[in-house]
Amino acid sequence: MLPQPLPTLRAPDPIATRTHCPYCAFQCGMLVTGTDGDPRTEVKADPEFPVNRGQMCIKGFTAGDLIDHPARLTAPKLRARDGRMVPASWDAALDFVAERLLRLRAAHGPAALAAFGSGALTNEKAYLLGKFVRVALGSPNIDYNGRYCMASAAAGQNKAFGVDRGLPFPIEDIARTKVLLLWGGNCALTMPPLMQWIAEQQSGGKLIVVDPRRTETARLADLHLQLTPGSDLALACGLLHLAIDERLCDLDYIASRTQGFDEVRRAVMQVHPAHVERLTGVSIDDQLRTVRLLAAEESGMLLSGRGPEQQSKGVDTVLAFTNLMLALGKVGKPASGYGCLTGQGNGQGGREHGQKADQLPGYRMIENLEDREALARVWGIDPATLPGKGKSAYELLDALGPEGGIRALLVFGSNVAVASPNARNIERKLGSLDLLVVCDAFENETSATAHAILPVLQWAEEAGTMTNLEGRVILRQPARAAPAGARSDLEILCALAERLGHGERFPSSTPEVVFDELRRATAGGRADYSGITYDKIRRAQWIFWPCPSEDHPGTPRLFEERFQFPDGRARFHVVRHRPAAELPDAAYPLYFTTGRYKEHYNSGAQTRRVSALVDAQPAPRVQVHPRLASDLGVASGGALLVESRRGSVTFGVEVSADVRTDTLFAPFHWGGKLSANILTNPALDPQSRMPEFKVCAVRARAVALPPSLPGDGGTA
Amino acid sequence: MSPRKKRLVIIGNGMATCRLLDELLERDALHRYEIAVFGAERGGAYNRILLSKVLGGDDPDAIVTKPPSWYTDHGVQLHDGVSVRRLDTAAKIVETEDGQSARYDLAVFATGSQPLVPPLDGMTNGDGELRPGVFIYRTLDDCLKMRAHARAGDNAVVLGGGLLGLEAAKVLSDAGLHVTVVHAGRTLMNVQLDELGGEMLERQIEAYGIFVRTGRTLEAVLGDSFVDGVRLDDDKTLAADMLVLACGVRPRVDVARASDLPINKGIIVNDTLATEVPGVYAIGECAEHAGRTYGIVTPAWEQAAILAEVLTGANPQARYRGSKVYTRLKVAGIDVASMGRIDPELDSDEVIQVVETRRGAYRKLVVRGRALVGAMLVGNTAAAADLVRIFDRGDPLPDDPLEALCPGASSGGDERADRMVCNCNKVSEGRLREAISCGAASVEALCLATRAGTGCGSCRTELAQLLARHPPPPTRIAAAG
Repeated sequence: MLPQPLPTLRAPDPIATRTHCPYCAFQCGMLVTGTDGDPRTEVKADPEFPVNRGQMCIKGFTAGDLIDHPARLTAPKLRARDGRMVPASWDAALDFVAERLLRLRAAHGPAALAAFGSGALTNEKAYLLGKFVRVALGSPNIDYNGRYCMASAAAGQNKAFGVDRGLPFPIEDIARTKVLLLWGGNCALTMPPLMQWIAEQQSGGKLIVVDPRRTETARLADLHLQLTPGSDLALACGLLHLAIDERLCDLDYIASRTQGFDEVRRAVMQVHPAHVERLTGVSIDDQLRTVRLLAAEESGMLLSGRGPEQQSKGVDTVLAFTNLMLALGKVGKPASGYGCLTGQGNGQGGREHGQKADQLPGYRMIENLEDREALARVWGIDPATLPGKGKSAYELLDALGPEGGIRALLVFGSNVAVASPNARNIERKLGSLDLLVVCDAFENETSATAHAILPVLQWAEEAGTMTNLEGRVILRQPARAAPAGARSDLEILCALAERLGHGERFPSSTPEVVFDELRRATAGGRADYSGITYDKIRRAQWIFWPCPSEDHPGTPRLFEERFQFPDGRARFHVVRHRPAAELPDAAYPLYFTTGRYKEHYNSGAQTRRVSALVDAQPAPRVQVHPRLASDLGVASGGALLVESRRGSVTFGVEVSADVRTDTLFAPFHWGGKLSANILTNPALDPQSRMPEFKVCAVRARAVALPPSLPGDGGTA
Repeated sequence: MSPRKKRLVIIGNGMATCRLLDELLERDALHRYEIAVFGAERGGAYNRILLSKVLGGDDPDAIVTKPPSWYTDHGVQLHDGVSVRRLDTAAKIVETEDGQSARYDLAVFATGSQPLVPPLDGMTNGDGELRPGVFIYRTLDDCLKMRAHARAGDNAVVLGGGLLGLEAAKVLSDAGLHVTVVHAGRTLMNVQLDELGGEMLERQIEAYGIFVRTGRTLEAVLGDSFVDGVRLDDDKTLAADMLVLACGVRPRVDVARASDLPINKGIIVNDTLATEVPGVYAIGECAEHAGRTYGIVTPAWEQAAILAEVLTGANPQARYRGSKVYTRLKVAGIDVASMGRIDPELDSDEVIQVVETRRGAYRKLVVRGRALVGAMLVGNTAAAADLVRIFDRGDPLPDDPLEALCPGASSGGDERADRMVCNCNKVSEGRLREAISCGAASVEALCLATRAGTGCGSCRTELAQLLARHPPPPTRIAAAG
C-alpha cells in the first residue's frame, strides 16, 4: 500500500526528526521540529509511515504542548516533615529512596517492595524495570497497567494460537478484508487514524460493529449489534451455534489446522438462538445476518477492543472469538482472522518483556523452569534466587499498606489512582504506604500522596523502541533536548540498583545498550527480538517480531502455515456464558459502562494538561437515554448522582439515544470526584486477572449541577 | 485428612442433568462429590430441542451434548440404559429396575416429562405396544424410527399444534409428506398465543403447505396392524401412514411417587430446589416450584445453576424465585415470539394490538401501569429482543408503548448538530451539513468550504460518511458543478 499524503501536508522541514506519538498503540509516525533556541515544539503527521499515512488525531497533533509545558517537573521532590513537597537534588532523592527501600526490605522482606509499570514505557524500560524488581529488589511484585488493558486478549490468544501478538497481520490487511466484525471498540474516537483503513475496507466490504452504544464507530457500520453489557460471550457462542447450524464451518480447515472442535461443537449447540436473543438483546435475525455475512466471503476478520475484554470473563470471551474464527476457517488466511486492538503505546512490548507478574522477557513464563534458567544465565544469577509469580495489578494495589503487606511502591508512567477499578479503595491504600515513589513528567492523582517524585524524560527527548499494535517494532528518536533536571527512567533504575548494591548488573542506561541485553534475553523466547537492532530499524523503519536472527527480515504475518504449538495446530476451547460479577437488581437497577473521548487518553494525566483538549472536553458527562432521562427527571445540562456499591459520582448529563435505556455510560479520563472508576467493580477474570471495568450495577438520581461542573459545555 | 466424598446421584440424563453437570464441574464439585448419573435411554445426553434436526436427516451425533466418553473423561459415572425404580430414602439406597441397588448421600431427580398418549381405540396393539406407524415425538430413538418410516408422498397426521407438533409437521412436510395437524385447542399454540395470533399462525402454516384442523380431537386410530388412518371427533376420517403424537407432556414422577416424595403436579421443591425429604432435590420439568411446572428448557437451566451454587457451597444462599417464560418459534417463513401473559388479567390491564392483515403480522402488548406483563409477536418479531429485555428487567414502557414495538426508531434525544466533527478547526456537524446542502459534494469541497479535515486529517473519514448520509440536493450539485 503506497502512502497517500494529504494535499494540505507540506514536505518535512530539513531539521524535522522522525519519531512516534506518545499515546496509543497505533504509534503514528510524526515529524517533530523545534530547536533549542525556539521554545515551541511543532508536531506533524509523517506521511511516509505506512500505519498512519499522514493522519493523526488531535491528541498526537497537540502532543508538543507536553514537551514545553509549564507544569513539567524538572527537579525531584521529596515530602517534607510538614507534608509539603519540596525540591531536592537527585543524589538526595535517590539516596532517600534507596535507603528507605533497604530499611523496609530488612524489616518486612523483599516481597514488601513492589513496582508498577506501564504500557507507555519503551521496551528497554519495561525490560529493565522487570529486571530491577526481580534482581535488585528481589521481589516478585511487579505488574503494570497493561493488566487493565490487554491481559484478556493476551491470555486468550496464547491459549488459542500459542502466541500473543495483538494483530497477527499488518494494519493494511484490515483494508483488504471483505467483512470486518469490530467488537467492542470505538476506534473512530480512540484511534482515529485507523479509520482510513476501515473506510477503504468499507468501499468494497461490510462493517459490523458490536457495541452496547451507538458509537461514532457503530454509526458507520452496515450492521450494528447493540448488545446488553456483559453479554458478549453469549453472543459469540450463539454465532458459532448458527455457523454450525447453517453449515458454514470450514470442516477441512478444522480437520487440518486445529484441535478440540468436537467438544466445542457439542457445547455451543446448547446455546440456542432464542436464548442468545434474550441474553444479548440481539435479534435472531441479526445473529443470522452477522454469521452469514462473516462466512459468505473468502476473507473475514474479527477485531476486539476493551468492551468484551474488560470483563470478569474476558479470556473466555476472547476464546469464543477465536473459536468462531477458527471454525469459519479464517485464521491465517489472507486479510482474515482474529486480532485485538491494543490500547497503550507499548501495550504490546510492555507485556512481552517482563513487566507482568507472571512473565519474563521474550514472553517467557516465570514459573517455567527452562524459562527461568534461560533468564538467569543472561542476568548472571542463580535461577533459585529469581522470585516466583507476583500479584496482578489490582491485587498488588489492593495489598498496599500494613494490612496487605506491601510497604513500598515505585510507579513508572502510570496513574493508578485514576486507572484502577474501585478507585477510592486504591487511593486509600496508596495513602497507607511507607514509601510511594512516582516517576513521571507531571504530577498526577497518584503522586498526590507520594514521598518522592522523580521527574523523567518524555517521548521526544530520548531514544527507545516501541512495539505497536501490529507487533511492528519501531524506534523513537530524540527530537528535542531534555530539560535540565529530568532524567530517563533507565538512569533512575541504574542509579537505584547501584545504591542497592547491584550496580554491576545494571551497567548502562543507554537505550541501545539495554536493548542489546533485551535481545539476548528474548533469544529463543516466544517474542524473539534477538535479530532486531537499532541499525536495522533505522534502515527499514520497522521490524515485525519474531525476528530470531540478524539476517531474518521479521514476520509481518503469523499463522499462515502453522500455529505456535509443537504440533502447529490451533486450539479450540470450551467456554460458556456466565453473568457479570454484579448484575443490576432492585437496589441498583442500571448497567454502568465506561469508555473514552477522542480528546483524552487513559487516565488523562497527559491530555488534561493540554489546553486544546481540555477546552474541547473539559469534564466527563454521563450519557443517558432520553426515555431513562425523562424517568429520572433530568435533561442535558443537568446533573445525575450515580451510585454503585463502591461509591458515587455526580456527573453532568448528556441525553442521547445512542445509549441503551438500561445503561449509563461515562468516560474514565478524570480523577478525584469525577473518577468513573469510583463506581467500577474490581471483580477479576480468573485467568487474566483483568478487572470488570465494563459492567457494574448502579442507580441514579437527578441532583443540582454543582458549581464545579460545567453544564453542557462539552462539544460531545 | 479430607472427609470421604459424598455420593451424589442424578436420576435422569436429559437437558437439565446435562446442564447441572456443567454447573457442578465448573464449581469443582468433584472435590466433594462422587457423581453418578442414571439414564433410562442408552447413550449420553442429547439436546432435545434440536430433535427436529435429526428428524430432518442430521446425524444423531449432531445433537449429542455429552457422549458416554465425556462422562469417563470427566470422572462422572454413567449408568445408561438403566431405569431407576425407586429410592429408599430412609436407607439412602437407589434401586434400579434391573434389580441392582446403590448407596447415595444426595439424590437429584431430573426425570423430565413424559408424553401424553391419549387412550384411543386402536392406539395400541393387543400387547399394549403402540400400533406400528404411531410415533411419540420425544426421544432420539423416536426420531430415528420416524425418519426410517417416513416416505415422500406418505400421509402424516400430527396430533398437537403446539411448538413441538408444528416443528415436527414442518420437517415432515419438508420431506415431501402430506401433513395434517390436528389440534384440540380452538387455535394453534394456544398456550403462547391468543386466538387472533393462533389464526395468523395457522394461515402462515397453511401457506407453507401444511393442513390444520383446530378444535378437533381424535376418536380412533384405524388400521389392521399398521396405521392407515385416523377418525376425528367430527366423524371424518383422514388417511394416514403415520401418526405423530405431540399433544402435551406431564412431569415424569413415577419414580418419585414410588419413593414417597411429596408430589402435586410435579415433585414439590422449595427455593433451594430441595424436596422435604432430606438429601433429595429435583430440577427441570419434573419439579414443581411455587405451584408451577415448566415445560421448556430455560427454567431447567436456571434451576441447575442455583442447585449447583447451593450443593457446592459456591453460593449457599442462592435461591430460585421462578422463571419468566419466553417462547420462540422460528422456522422458514414462520416467526413467533411470546412472553408472559397473553391476555389481560386485571380490569385495569391495558391491551395494545397492531394487526397487519395483508402482511399477516400481529403484535400485542399486555400492559399494567407502565409495566409489560405480556407480549406476543407473530409474523414480525423485530421488537422481540427489546421487549423481552423490558419484560425480564421490569423496566417501564415508554409513555407511548407503541414505541417499544418499533426498535431502532429514533426516540428523540438531543439534536446532535452542534457535535464537533473537526476538533482542530472546531467545525460542527451542523456547519458541515449546511455546507453540504449548499453544494459541497466531495470531501475536498467540504474541506475547502469549512476548513474541516485540514488539521490532523483524522475526521476526513467522517466527512465522507456525512456526505453519504446527507447527500447534497442534486440541483445544488449541478449549480455548484
